[in-house]
Amino acid sequence: MAELRTEEFMVNMGPHHPSTHGVCRLILTMDGEKVVAIEPVIGYLHRAIEKICENRTYPQCSPLMDRFEYVTAMATEHVYALAVEKLAGLEVPDRAEYLRVIMVELNRIASHLIFWGVTAMDVGAYTPFLYGLREREDIMDLFEITCGQRLTYNYIRIGGVSKDIPPEFVPKCRAFIKKMWSKFSDYEGLLNENPIFLVRMKGIGVLKPEMAIAYGASGPVLRASGVKYDVRRNDAYSVYDKFDFEIPTQPNGDCYGRFIQRLDEMKESLKIVEQALDNLPEGDIKCKVKPKLKPPEGEVYSRIESARGEMGAYIRSDGTTKPTRVKLRGSSYNHLMLVPEIGTDCLIADLVAIFATLDIIMPEVDR
Amino acid sequence: MTRDELKEHILKKYDGLLTPLETGVFDLMFEVKPANLTNVARMLRDDEQLKFDFLNNIAGVDTGEQFEVVYSLSSISNNLRLDFKLVLPYDEAVVDSVKDIWTAADWHEREIWELYGIDVNNHDNLKRFLLPDDWDQGYPMRKDWDAPDFVRMPEL
Amino acid sequence: MGLIKKVPVYAEHVPGGGFVATQLESVLSHAQACSMWYLLFATACCAIELMCTGASRYDFDRLGMIFRPTPRQADLIIAAGTITKKMAPRLRRLYDQMAEPRYVIAMGGCTIRGGPFYYDSYAVEKGIDHIVPVDIYIPGCPPRPESLLEGCLHLQKKIKSQKLADWHEK
Ligand code: SF4
Repeated sequence: MAELRTEEFMVNMGPHHPSTHGVCRLILTMDGEKVVAIEPVIGYLHRAIEKICENRTYPQCSPLMDRFEYVTAMATEHVYALAVEKLAGLEVPDRAEYLRVIMVELNRIASHLIFWGVTAMDVGAYTPFLYGLREREDIMDLFEITCGQRLTYNYIRIGGVSKDIPPEFVPKCRAFIKKMWSKFSDYEGLLNENPIFLVRMKGIGVLKPEMAIAYGASGPVLRASGVKYDVRRNDAYSVYDKFDFEIPTQPNGDCYGRFIQRLDEMKESLKIVEQALDNLPEGDIKCKVKPKLKPPEGEVYSRIESARGEMGAYIRSDGTTKPTRVKLRGSSYNHLMLVPEIGTDCLIADLVAIFATLDIIMPEVDR
Repeated sequence: MTRDELKEHILKKYDGLLTPLETGVFDLMFEVKPANLTNVARMLRDDEQLKFDFLNNIAGVDTGEQFEVVYSLSSISNNLRLDFKLVLPYDEAVVDSVKDIWTAADWHEREIWELYGIDVNNHDNLKRFLLPDDWDQGYPMRKDWDAPDFVRMPEL
Repeated sequence: MGLIKKVPVYAEHVPGGGFVATQLESVLSHAQACSMWYLLFATACCAIELMCTGASRYDFDRLGMIFRPTPRQADLIIAAGTITKKMAPRLRRLYDQMAEPRYVIAMGGCTIRGGPFYYDSYAVEKGIDHIVPVDIYIPGCPPRPESLLEGCLHLQKKIKSQKLADWHEK
C-alpha cells in the first residue's frame, strides 16, 4: 500500500490565547496533531522598561521593577535594591533584611499558587484555580496591611523597606502559615494521583539536565531536571545563610516533575517564613539613603532566586543620579527559548502543558 | 574556590587574554579583546577547574563613548561567578556569536543586535523580535536615539 | 435582530403600543446586562487582578460575568494591562470580531493614558480610546477588584438605560 501522504500546515497560536499566559505568539508548523516546528514571536508586551530606567533616578526606578515581573513583584524589587546597595556600598539593617525575606517568600508562595491553579486549568481542571487563589488572597491581605497594595508593592526600597510591619502582622502571618500547612493534603489529593492528569503530565516535555544548563534554565525548572542548584543556597544573598531549608529536586524533568517541584518549594518557603518570624530582630528598617543617590562609578550583576528562577539585574553607574544601564534578566526569557526545543514532536495539547509547567510569564520576557 | 583564588587562577592560566578591571563592584570583572571572545569563552567553559557552563546574562551597554557587551557567567558544578566584557568602539560594533558555546546566548545576542545595532557574526537567527515589525526609528537603546515623543529628563 | 429593531416602529401603531415596547426594552436590556460574558484579554499586571476578581473571593460570576476565550462569544472586552504599539492592531482586530452590541472597559492607568510610568516609553500606546471606543474607565495601577466590580455595575446601569432605538444607531 502506498504511504499515506500528509501535508504540513501552519497554526498561529496567540498573541491572544488563553493558555499562553499573556501575549506570546507561537507559530506552529503542524503535521496533523503533531508539532513539527515552533517559532515564538515575542515583544507584544515590550514596554521598554530598561530604556525608561535610564531616564529616571535610582529611587524612581524601583516602582518600575514591580511591573517587570508582577507575579512576584517583591523579588524584583529585592534584586534591584540589592544591586544598587552593592553599587553604593550601603549597609542594610538586619530587621529590614528579615522583613524582605518574609515578603519575598510569601510572594513566592503566592506565585506558586497561581502556577498551580493555572496549570491545572490549562490541562482541564478548574477547581485548583479557585482553591489556589483563595489562599493567595490571604497573602494579599498580609501585604495590604503592610504596604497598602495588593500587587505592585514598592515595598522593598533601596536601603531597606518602606514601612515596618503593623503589630497584627505576625499573628496573622502565623495563622496563615498554620492554615497553609493544612491545605497541602487537599492540594495533593486533588490532582497528584488523578489518572487523567498523570497521562497529560508524566513523561511529557522531558528536559535533560545538560540541555537545561546549556539553555540557561534555572529555578524550579532546573531543579525538576535533577540539578540541585539554588541561588539562595549556592550564592547566598541577604540573610538566606541563616535559615535551614531543603532544596527539593525531581529526577525526571518532565511536566509532572515540574508541577510537583513547585508544591514542594512552597513548603520550604513556609519553613523559611516561620524561621524568619521566630528570629525577627528589632531595630531600624532602613539605612540612611540620600534622596539624590549617586552611587560611585562601577557595575554589578546581582542575582536572586525568584519564584521562576534566577532573576538578575545588571546595573551600570557613571556616578550621576541616573543609571547608565539597567539590564534585567528574567528566567522566563531562557525558558521560552526552551519551548521550541522540548515542544517539537509532541502533540499540540502537550504543548499547552509544557508551556504551563515552564511557568512562563511574558513581562519577564519582553520587559 | 574563593574570589581571590579564582582571580589568581585566571591571571596565571589566561594571562593576557583576560585583563582584570576595577569597575566590577561585587564579582570579578575582566576585559576581553573582541577578537579573542570565542576562544576565551570556550576555554572558560572547558577548563576542568572552572567549568563556566551557565550563561546568566548578556547585557549591551552604551556608555556614551563606546559600546560594551557584558557577559555574566556562573559555574553550576564549581559554584563560581565571573563577569567579563568587550569594549567596542562605535565604528566597529561587531561581536562573534557565542551561541555554539552557550545556547542561551541566542536571544540575548538577537536583542543587542536589535536594540543597539551591534552586529553579531555567525548568528543564524538575527530577526526583529521585540520591536514592532514595521519599526523604522533606529536603535532605541542607543544614547543618542531620539524620537518626537521621547522626553529626556534633566539631570538633578 | 432585524425584527426586534423594527418592533418599536410597528408597536407604535397598536393602541398602547408604547407600553409594550418599553416592557420589551426593559426585558431585553435586563437580560443583556445580567449576562455579560467578557473576553479574557489579559496583557499585563492588571490581568492578575482581573484573575483575582474572577476567582474565589470576589466571584465575578454572581454578576453573570463569565470569561470566554474567544471574541465571537463575548459581549465585553475588559482591556486589562498595558497595550503596546505592537499589540494595538490585535486589540482592534479582536474588537472587530465581536458581535454587536459590544462594550469595552478600560482597566488601569495603562489603558487610560499609557499608565503612570510609561509616559516616555517608545513602545507603549498612550491610551486605548483611539483604538476602540471605551464605555467605562477604571483608574488605578492596578485597580482593586472592588473597583473593577463597581465599573461593571456602572456598565450594567448603562446598558439598562439603553433604548431599543439606540440599537439602530450603533
Ligand atoms: S495600570 Fe499599572 S498595574 Fe495596570 S497594567 Fe498598567 S502598569 Fe500594570
